[in-house]
Amino acid sequence: MTQQELIETLTNRGAFFASACHPGQIKLLNINLQTLNVATIPNYMGEFYQVCGGAWLGTGYVFGPNEFSYNGHHPIPSILDINKDLTNLKALHGKTIFGRNDLFWFAFDALGECTMLDNLNLNVLRKYSDPYRAIYECLIGGKI
Amino acid sequence: MQWTQDFAEKRLSDMQMPNIPLTATQPTPVAVSPDWFPKYKKLCHEFMRSLTDSVQELALMNLSRDEFMELIMGRTLPVNLSIRFRTPLLWGGAMDVDNLFMCFTFPHSQCLDRFIIEQAGNETVWLPSPEKKIYLPLHSTLAGNGGNATADRLSQFAATMNAGRRP
Repeated sequence: MTQQELIETLTNRGAFFASACHPGQIKLLNINLQTLNVATIPNYMGEFYQVCGGAWLGTGYVFGPNEFSYNGHHPIPSILDINKDLTNLKALHGKTIFGRNDLFWFAFDALGECTMLDNLNLNVLRKYSDPYRAIYECLIGGKI
Repeated sequence: MQWTQDFAEKRLSDMQMPNIPLTATQPTPVAVSPDWFPKYKKLCHEFMRSLTDSVQELALMNLSRDEFMELIMGRTLPVNLSIRFRTPLLWGGAMDVDNLFMCFTFPHSQCLDRFIIEQAGNETVWLPSPEKKIYLPLHSTLAGNGGNATADRLSQFAATMNAGRRP
């Protein structure tokens, strides 16, 4: 799946996308993620953020470099804020959570490999060779 | 470390959700049917339609009229709302409306995920199980008596919806 195919498919399914980010914001985000000792933003995710700074579909969310909100609802936290709250979870060591839905969490590691995690115990349920497939499944899993 | 009920309640209180009752469960994984996901989606829609009896809580959720209608028609879940299992399917929870509750995704559902994950590996896990179908934080439920126009309007919509469903 290419990034363009991902965006087109999600758009057709009714996803909401936050505003694109400037590369400078992603550099700053990486500096902040490094201070948390979690994985920094892989290239494909940086490219995704330059098209949209986060996404939402049903109960599925992909966190962006900045918090974003829709129709005055409670803002969807940034990827940094989400991972700041999770620093005490040893099972996440070296991983960065980039998305969630009501059943699963989604993470990438320092090599950029994406995984689907059980939201009960963080057991790895699936590994992805295609990161855009992981982003797709994170959001489409929330389309109930 | 095995949590006591007191510790679990304190942890929830630290997460600003002190008013959620807890139930203890032994997290023994059970087999889940292969077609669980379509059944889960169907159940979520059934749950949304059942919320016509929870208008008082819905009125405190700052939903627009369209979002409210889409929700109780069982069509679309508004942004920042989650439907959670009281007892997860994987731990023997029933695929039943009574085993679900709704809350805000951020911050509540995200924090409740963390609350359960922090207990991973424990023999007994404390699970949040609100009394009502919709969990609202304490400060929402203690809101002053500032008028009931919204609740009345939403009650009217809900009553119309229910009347339309009767055979």
